[in-house]
Amino acid sequence: MTGVNPEFIKRLEPLSADLGSACFNCGTCAAICPLISEHFPRKMIRYVQIGAQDRILEQAQELWRCLHCGLCTQTCPRGANPGEVILTLKRFVTAAWRKS
Amino acid sequence: MYNPRDIIEVLAGNVRKTMSPFGVPKGMVNGWWKTEGLRQDEETLLFTGLMYQFVPYIETATRQLERYEDTKWTPYLKYARFFPSSLSGLGLAMLTPAAEKSKADRHLRNIVKVLRASGTRFGYRPDLDEYSGILLYDLGDQENFVRHARIVAEKLQKAGVRKIITTDPHTTYALKVLYPKYVGASFEVSTYFEALHLRASGAGKKLTLHDPCFYGRYLELSNAPRRILGEIGYECVDVRESGMFTSCCGGPAESISPKLSSRIGSKRVQKLDATGEQIVTMCPICLNNLARSGANVVDLSSILAGDEASATN
Repeated sequence: MTGVNPEFIKRLEPLSADLGSACFNCGTCAAICPLISEHFPRKMIRYVQIGAQDRILEQAQELWRCLHCGLCTQTCPRGANPGEVILTLKRFVTAAWRKS
Repeated sequence: MYNPRDIIEVLAGNVRKTMSPFGVPKGMVNGWWKTEGLRQDEETLLFTGLMYQFVPYIETATRQLERYEDTKWTPYLKYARFFPSSLSGLGLAMLTPAAEKSKADRHLRNIVKVLRASGTRFGYRPDLDEYSGILLYDLGDQENFVRHARIVAEKLQKAGVRKIITTDPHTTYALKVLYPKYVGASFEVSTYFEALHLRASGAGKKLTLHDPCFYGRYLELSNAPRRILGEIGYECVDVRESGMFTSCCGGPAESISPKLSSRIGSKRVQKLDATGEQIVTMCPICLNNLARSGANVVDLSSILAGDEASATN
């Protein structure tokens, strides 16, 4: 069971304009990512879209495997900026850690 | 893999206290300029961002992290933040081989050499040269990145700096894109190889360039080094993943997961080695990561400066 929070994306808005709204889950980013594992970064962007905040937080460490190399953003056919979405999530999680 | 929270807090604490992510005092890492007779009162400022200078310390720190990654000692990293930064920085400095430090200095002297050979006028102010904070940005610590960037930018602005020549891709991207965006500080930024004009020396030799992500993709600067190398007689043999589609060298993940960094770096080295030609890059992080993944790689500045000793490592 995954709890979803439709308001989650609003909590991200102050952190960045890159929220993955344009993403339609084609998976190009996951295919080209040098990490090549477990549907990263597409999975995380999907979590953002459906508001699965708890899933993001419990898998937060995965975000820091991202090297910010930008290949996913370069190849995204929808201009959804997946690399920047991951950076947005890093900021969100870092801020959340500091509050805890 | 280390807990990113621990890494971020250590690095952020170091930057707040010492302006350096590794806690090493600037005077210890930044002495390359003393032999160069550089003027201070020029309109254009050379700004290294201390990235070449930090690489030997990154390598030392990475080796230590690698030893303890995914062992029972991994969780103890969280206590590192409680050590005085200057103390751990000095420890890092003592562990770092002098030969590696002098190699880093040499790249900067080569950059000065080729700028002068091109007739470029520039000054250097060691008091203004600071780390850009780019790693904090990449790790998602926006709060501390902005705080640090504001300090660096204000120093430059108060000194009346408008034009800057940079030496590495991360500092270039930070000053050119991130500082205007996040702290409202705009400078006329170019990186050192953008406007070079040198005498021919390559004689048809072939090279394979690795484009750093920030030069190849974010800043779209992969043509400039190929132009200058072509002008001095070199032929560039490109791999498929170059320019806008360059592949990652594995950095700067080495602080979070040295193993992941090595795995990605090894893949990149395989691709670059396939050409059979000398591998060249233009980023201190890429240089270090590719070398640790087994590549025979040299810095672009060594080739441009005709520094054979440095070019053959």
